Amino acid sequence: MNPTLLKKCSSRFREGHGFSRAVNSPAFNSALAAAVSPTGSNICNDDAEPKNCALAARLAAKSHRITIEKRTSAAKAVPVWNVLTARLKSCPSLNRQLSLVALVMLAVTAAPSQTKQKTRIATSQIEATAPIAIRGGKLLTITHGVIENGVVVMENGKITAIGPAGTTIPRGATVVDATGMTVYPGLIDSETNLGLVEVEADQNSNDLNEPSDEIMPHMHVADAFHSETQRIPVVRVNGITNAIVAPGTTNSLPGQDIFIQLDGKDRDQMIVVNDIALPLNFSAEQRRRAMPGQGGGGAAGTTRFPSTRMGLAAQLRQAFIDAQDYEAKQQSAANRKSDSSNNRSGGGADRQKRDLKLEALLPYLHGQKPVVIGARDGYDLENAMRLAREFNLKVVLNHVTHAQDILDEIGSWKVPVIVGPIYDFPRADERYDAVYSLPAELYKRGVKIAFASYHVEHNRNLPYAAGYAVAFGLPYEEALKAVTINPAEIWGVADKLGSLDVGKTANVVIANGDPLDVKTDVKQVFIEGRKISLENRQTRLRDQYGGVPPAPSR
Amino acid sequence: MAILSWVTRLGFAALISALPASAQNSDSQAPASPQPDLLIKGGTVLTVTHGVIENGSVLIHNGKVAQVGTNIAAPAGAMVMDATGKYVMPGIIDCHSHLALDNDVNEATSPVTPAMNMLDAFVNTDKGLYHALAGGVTSLLLLHGSANMIGGQAVVIKNKFGLSRDQMLFPNAPRSIKFASGENPKRVYGSRNQLPSTRMGNFEVQREALQQAKEYMRDWDEYNAKVQKGDKEARAPKRDLKLEALADVLRGKLLVQIHCYRADEFLTEMQMAREFGYHVRAFHHALEAYKVADKIAAEGVAIATWPDWWGFKDEAWDAQPWNAVMSLRHGVRVALKSDSNDVVRRLNQDAGKVIRYGGATQEEALKMITLNPAWIIGVDDRVGSLEVGKDADISIWDKDPLSSYAKVEKTIIDGEVYFDSSLPGLGLTHWKNAPMSSGEFEGSEMDDEMGIGEAH
Repeated sequence: MNPTLLKKCSSRFREGHGFSRAVNSPAFNSALAAAVSPTGSNICNDDAEPKNCALAARLAAKSHRITIEKRTSAAKAVPVWNVLTARLKSCPSLNRQLSLVALVMLAVTAAPSQTKQKTRIATSQIEATAPIAIRGGKLLTITHGVIENGVVVMENGKITAIGPAGTTIPRGATVVDATGMTVYPGLIDSETNLGLVEVEADQNSNDLNEPSDEIMPHMHVADAFHSETQRIPVVRVNGITNAIVAPGTTNSLPGQDIFIQLDGKDRDQMIVVNDIALPLNFSAEQRRRAMPGQGGGGAAGTTRFPSTRMGLAAQLRQAFIDAQDYEAKQQSAANRKSDSSNNRSGGGADRQKRDLKLEALLPYLHGQKPVVIGARDGYDLENAMRLAREFNLKVVLNHVTHAQDILDEIGSWKVPVIVGPIYDFPRADERYDAVYSLPAELYKRGVKIAFASYHVEHNRNLPYAAGYAVAFGLPYEEALKAVTINPAEIWGVADKLGSLDVGKTANVVIANGDPLDVKTDVKQVFIEGRKISLENRQTRLRDQYGGVPPAPSR
Repeated sequence: MAILSWVTRLGFAALISALPASAQNSDSQAPASPQPDLLIKGGTVLTVTHGVIENGSVLIHNGKVAQVGTNIAAPAGAMVMDATGKYVMPGIIDCHSHLALDNDVNEATSPVTPAMNMLDAFVNTDKGLYHALAGGVTSLLLLHGSANMIGGQAVVIKNKFGLSRDQMLFPNAPRSIKFASGENPKRVYGSRNQLPSTRMGNFEVQREALQQAKEYMRDWDEYNAKVQKGDKEARAPKRDLKLEALADVLRGKLLVQIHCYRADEFLTEMQMAREFGYHVRAFHHALEAYKVADKIAAEGVAIATWPDWWGFKDEAWDAQPWNAVMSLRHGVRVALKSDSNDVVRRLNQDAGKVIRYGGATQEEALKMITLNPAWIIGVDDRVGSLEVGKDADISIWDKDPLSSYAKVEKTIIDGEVYFDSSLPGLGLTHWKNAPMSSGEFEGSEMDDEMGIGEAH
């Protein structure tokens, strides 16, 4: 480790970001040193960007189980960093000041174990916005049909009126002429990696997987979500205003998802619901066998448990049983404690050590939040569902791309399905459209479906998957629902999102045509009633190099 | 500038047409039993080169387009295919694919492997070919991967899925060779602590190989000259397949297809081509072409790109979806290619995207998946548009192919139907229900250029 380098990095980071005193501790310094050069890697080299230093510091903070949150307003020249929360059981290596902060935070969250989920409902912090009326467009309301030449009014972040031409527009409202345009609610993507990966091949910008163990329910996507990612402004100008962000799929329980809106002045404003769901993956990828083509998570040349489906299932079952057991013990310890404090004797002797991993599973074991089962084949789905029934989990299915043999059975389960990617390949000797037609087949069986774009390079293309499913038999209205109201219902936010209805969050898109067609150009996006800039890294590059020259006249 | 680039391009085209087309002499030209004429009638005909013909017809005779227009009468004995309400366009051509190579995409044991021939890896039963056929794809250029600065020689196929290996070869298609640059070679060899591990190393490896080829070519030229003069003492230099292939590059006998992302690397590659006296046929991926489009156009080099993939690795970080149309407007010949077993199935949608990003006309968008990739492969005189005398390679769609909603109803190659979605089962007309092979890449949903894991 080069001490000059560490100093440079450390000071650059602290000065550049106005680090709070709490983190300026010897313990933090040593953690930073470790993060800067843990294995001789060059996270911070001589040319280190400030962002790399920031990354190193974050790593250091993470190693001390601190969540550092960037509290920055776009308007302010100097972003301010704060330690907002210090989570987890104990922080012996941190200074007292920090421990105090942690204690205060714990006290504030006043907590039986599962209340530590940082849940926030979007509308609780919606900002006041001036009235805007969109008039003249074709409104796709989703819940009550199409209104030609309609009017939508937004104010204070919400839709305040919707109706045909002649609907009252409040005085002083900014009027947007949408004649010839199509107006629809912001689309909702039911699985993305937004903010977890910038350039996938660059490990420094990739926070998708924590592969050290398969059972990682205590990983919180919120802790890695990089709200300033360059990808979000690119994706939202395609009309996508909300998304699930899920971790990568290397693990069977990789961590908890967040539900975001694709605009906000900081991370907190963009996370609409924290820890909204827990993915449970049951496919080849989670098996730790080192076989070429298997995509196994094991290091090359090694095989470790679980290397089979038996192993995966047993490991998951054990995790859920451990969590139940843990809860029972916590409960009885709490009871004893309450007894002993009544007796004013002993006390504390029976205190249970908290186990954050098991604790993270409890809301899911209580059926309070959905477990998103990711499996492709029928038999894998059945295995995972058996497990889910055993523990009374609330289920959302994901993928299901090769479960054509059990479609009726899936229908009978009465659970929603995030279907796709519909671009998954059919098996050899299957008809070419075996996967394309899956949304239609599930819909026919009464399954509520939603679409997802999954991989970060394809997030902006969410609407086209829905469109393509129409080519293979899904009714158009259902395809639209599957990227609006259906996901809103699946994720429990239908009171706020998913349609053009009075009282809902004003996430509204104006485009020059059908939202699901590849040719359609999005002209304006509103999120919480705010007009979103259409500029992004890609438009800037386009314009920097002269833009698109006019077509030659013919 | 525009005029200059035109002149350059014309000169270049003349040069290319003088190339000995070669290589793929297959048995597929053996005359089969004469086909009956086929009249496709009453559709919206997207000719690509001479507009859209509403209520149009295409007459096919002996596997070639015999007439395109309205009110074409069916000759006696002709089969008539009613295309009322349908869209009829040329078959889609993918000029960058690694399908049907059974994972033998990269001979990643040396950064210079020009003697490799993808024909040796071609597996004609790959289900991916079927999927592509069902997406209207009639011809493909199957390329070596991008692990090596100088990879192997490509194979051009007609997607007659169900026929034999030899019958699927595109007859007399020109030879192409794959070059690469940038992150993939330097990562593959750098990770083994070998040369190249930087872009400096990359280009040095390439320059060194070309220099050797130049000397090899000189030795052979000298020898041949001696033999010509009747010198009985002349001793033939040792034949070296690697240098022989590269000498063919220098002699202009191979179309050079270069995997290249960054603007500076386009310039280096074109500089090196000038230095050694060959031409670059196309830059593939070419995500930064918009930065130096005028220079690429002036050199007569085409690009084969994606409309909207981006950011999967550093050299793809400056991608922006207006690249295709910006480059086109600067005079570059632009093709959209798949480089993916997935995207090859819906290149029509990718063409729709360039209407959205940059306002390509319908004809320009269609050219990017038909005539322009045909030019990159060197077969634009044979396929890529609906013109009299061209091969009758045609796809018929139920809706506007440049939309999210279209699907292929029929794919026709050399006048014969190879895919018909109305048929029960797979919709294949020539497949004999043998087991299909499944030569997907490792991590099959990704494509080869994503730069993840072991490079392809």
